[in-house]
Amino acid sequence: MDNVNILIVEDTTEESDALIKVLKANNYNIVGVATSFKKALELFYNNPVDLVVIDIFLNGSPDGISFAETISISPNASKPFVFLTSSTDRKIFERAKLTQPFSFLMKPFNELEILYALEMAFEKFYAQQDVFFNEEENTIISEEHLFIKKGKSLKKVLISDIIYIEVEEKYCNIITEKEKFVILISLTKVLTLLDNTIFSKTHRNFIVNTEKIIEIIPSDNLILLSGNHKATLSDKYKGLLKQIRTLK
Amino acid sequence: MKLHTSLITFFLLLSIPLFMFSQEEKPLKTQGLFEKQVKHLSEEFTSEINFVKAQEFYFKEQWDSTLVYSLKQLNENSKKIELNDLCYFFRGFSFKENEDFKAAKKELLKISKTFNFYNYVHIVLARIALEEGENEKAEQYYEYIKDVNTFELCGVKKSNIENNLGLKYLHSKEYSKAETYLLKSIASQEQEQDTLNLIAGYGNLASIYYEQMKDDKAIPYYLKAYQLSKQTNDFKAKRNASLNMSIVEENREDYKRALKYNIEYHKWADSVNSEINELEVERLENELNIQAKEKEVTVLQAENKAKVVERNGLLYTALVLLVLLGTTIYFYKEKIKTNKVITAQKEDLNELNTTKDKLFSIVSHDLRSSVNALKTSNAKLLENVEAKNLEQLDGLLQTNSSIVNGAYNLLDNLLNWALLQTKQSYFEIEPLRLYSIVEQVAYNYKPLMLDKVITFENNVLKSSRVNADQESLKIILRNLLDNAIKFSKANGFIKIYTEDTNKGYYDLVIEDSGIGIDEITIEDLLKESTLLPKKGNKKEKGTGLGLQLCKSMAKKNKGHFKIESKINEGTKMIISLPKTKQNG
Repeated sequence: MDNVNILIVEDTTEESDALIKVLKANNYNIVGVATSFKKALELFYNNPVDLVVIDIFLNGSPDGISFAETISISPNASKPFVFLTSSTDRKIFERAKLTQPFSFLMKPFNELEILYALEMAFEKFYAQQDVFFNEEENTIISEEHLFIKKGKSLKKVLISDIIYIEVEEKYCNIITEKEKFVILISLTKVLTLLDNTIFSKTHRNFIVNTEKIIEIIPSDNLILLSGNHKATLSDKYKGLLKQIRTLK
Repeated sequence: MKLHTSLITFFLLLSIPLFMFSQEEKPLKTQGLFEKQVKHLSEEFTSEINFVKAQEFYFKEQWDSTLVYSLKQLNENSKKIELNDLCYFFRGFSFKENEDFKAAKKELLKISKTFNFYNYVHIVLARIALEEGENEKAEQYYEYIKDVNTFELCGVKKSNIENNLGLKYLHSKEYSKAETYLLKSIASQEQEQDTLNLIAGYGNLASIYYEQMKDDKAIPYYLKAYQLSKQTNDFKAKRNASLNMSIVEENREDYKRALKYNIEYHKWADSVNSEINELEVERLENELNIQAKEKEVTVLQAENKAKVVERNGLLYTALVLLVLLGTTIYFYKEKIKTNKVITAQKEDLNELNTTKDKLFSIVSHDLRSSVNALKTSNAKLLENVEAKNLEQLDGLLQTNSSIVNGAYNLLDNLLNWALLQTKQSYFEIEPLRLYSIVEQVAYNYKPLMLDKVITFENNVLKSSRVNADQESLKIILRNLLDNAIKFSKANGFIKIYTEDTNKGYYDLVIEDSGIGIDEITIEDLLKESTLLPKKGNKKEKGTGLGLQLCKSMAKKNKGHFKIESKINEGTKMIISLPKTKQNG
């Protein structure tokens, strides 16, 4: 599991320092602090950013909104973001609101508020409401990552690293090459949100990353996966064989 | 002798129109069957207004009107032959009365043979023929009706025709025919006991015999006529009878009698003249009366008109005045209303102004004391730093920070209050997770509560979601928590939880075990006014601005705010907010 990468766009050093301190304490990774619109764009496009925290006012002008507008209109690069502001000026808010999905935090804020705001931003951006707040779930699935709530903070896992998923009642065991951990998520959600050209169900309890398959032994109903992992292939899902041959 | 006869003829001639005149003057009351039938018809055809009017005028003998309405009736081209015949008859008769005999004949001849009263037509035609001197025609018409019993119609009697026919023949010296008709006439007149006509009849018959020199036959009839004339009051009849008698006596050379009759004749003649004069005078008087009456009527009419005009004038004036009054009242009321509104606004403004002034003084006072405390504390801090008394520093810094926190909270409320009043701030109602919000707000107060040894519990259900504006909800919670801590005793507790008693609302309860608030203060705090409650208890700290904010914010979020408290036991501050409708 990796830390979530955050880009901070904030012109006041004291505030960015305080923010960095809080975020680091909660295992977030800060990829950089931009103090201007230009710098923000530069940092945003040259770093693997998972989320941006944006101060609306940069040097007295609402450049933060302009930045948010810029990144939200480029669909591939678009990332979740949180606005920080000390003003509740309605006009500014009306403008900021147009950058959907809109998430904001009033200054001054405490630790809980900023962490909550980050989670909200993820939920809203990936349109998976109530995940981190729900006791039955703790994972958001994006195209590349799983974002998993661990304690107060979030962790991420690269989806392509997953070898297979073993479902166990409400839980899913995620097995990657390096580690094995449990997430809370419903099976149906996993199946709908994961790319089904890569992940296939091989058994009532197994979802396999087909790219990690080394060998399938149909007679033993066994799938050998990389890293010496094994998964069961039940009769019901043997259609998978065809699919894999055609793929390869 | 020749002279005598001519004389008599002259008188007779004179007597004929006289007698005829008197005959036609006879009142028409005996039409009986005819009138009954006509009235009956008019009742049956009440819708034929013209017919009804025509017959009315006919019986009133207003011939011109009869002509007009009967013509109208005929012009309607009604298919009712019965009505049409009657109309023709009315017209014929009216023309006859107006002495337009040609037109009368024309109308009468249009009547169909089925007419119930065709005999009447004959009478009238006969009468007309007589008037025009066409004896034979008259006789012809008479032939049609001679066998029918007595006829009488608007003054035209069968006997009358007979009498007149007789007279006509007398003039043309066809004595035998004249005698026949006159005898018939006398017979029917005797039957009818029509004295006046009988006198004429006797006179005429006597004249026939007298003309033929049959004095023996003539004289008894003259006498009969004379005797009868004595029974009437008609001076003309009396006069004619006595004149005839005097002529007869004169011719018999009985001058004494002749003189007597002549004297009588003159007497009656005078009477006739005086009667005529009287009649004339009476007529003139009547005319005068009528003129006077007409004048009076004109005057009255004029007066009436004037009165109507006056009345209308008054009415219009009254109306105009009423409208004016109404408008005045309306505008007056409007003015009063506007005044009331203005007064209310003025009061509101005054209130607001007072509030603002008070707020100003309280806030500045509080800030001043805070800053002053900070100053003193900083001075102490400096002293201690100089004296390198490091143990004291920690405590002093904590005092400073709490002073600053208090001041900050005050300023924050002040800002929010200003924003709320000017409605400049961003306000967006969205679904909120109550638990998270409470956690986030409480996070800032944890050290304070720890310091005061107050246990805090957030028992809000994680599933509780409300529709509210996040920032205003946070402001409410901050203030309520701040208050709860401020008024809590050491080792107390603060609990926040939701109650689901109110349909459609979550009641968020902030409960403390503090000193409590008495009811009067609660009432004061919850008053629906923008006025800040007075600073009561001197021990109490704060401006009251916080609670005012809570109230206003709750209202703006379409929620309610209430306080439940028991002195020395604790207080419950309750905000009700609309639930978020769960979708799935």
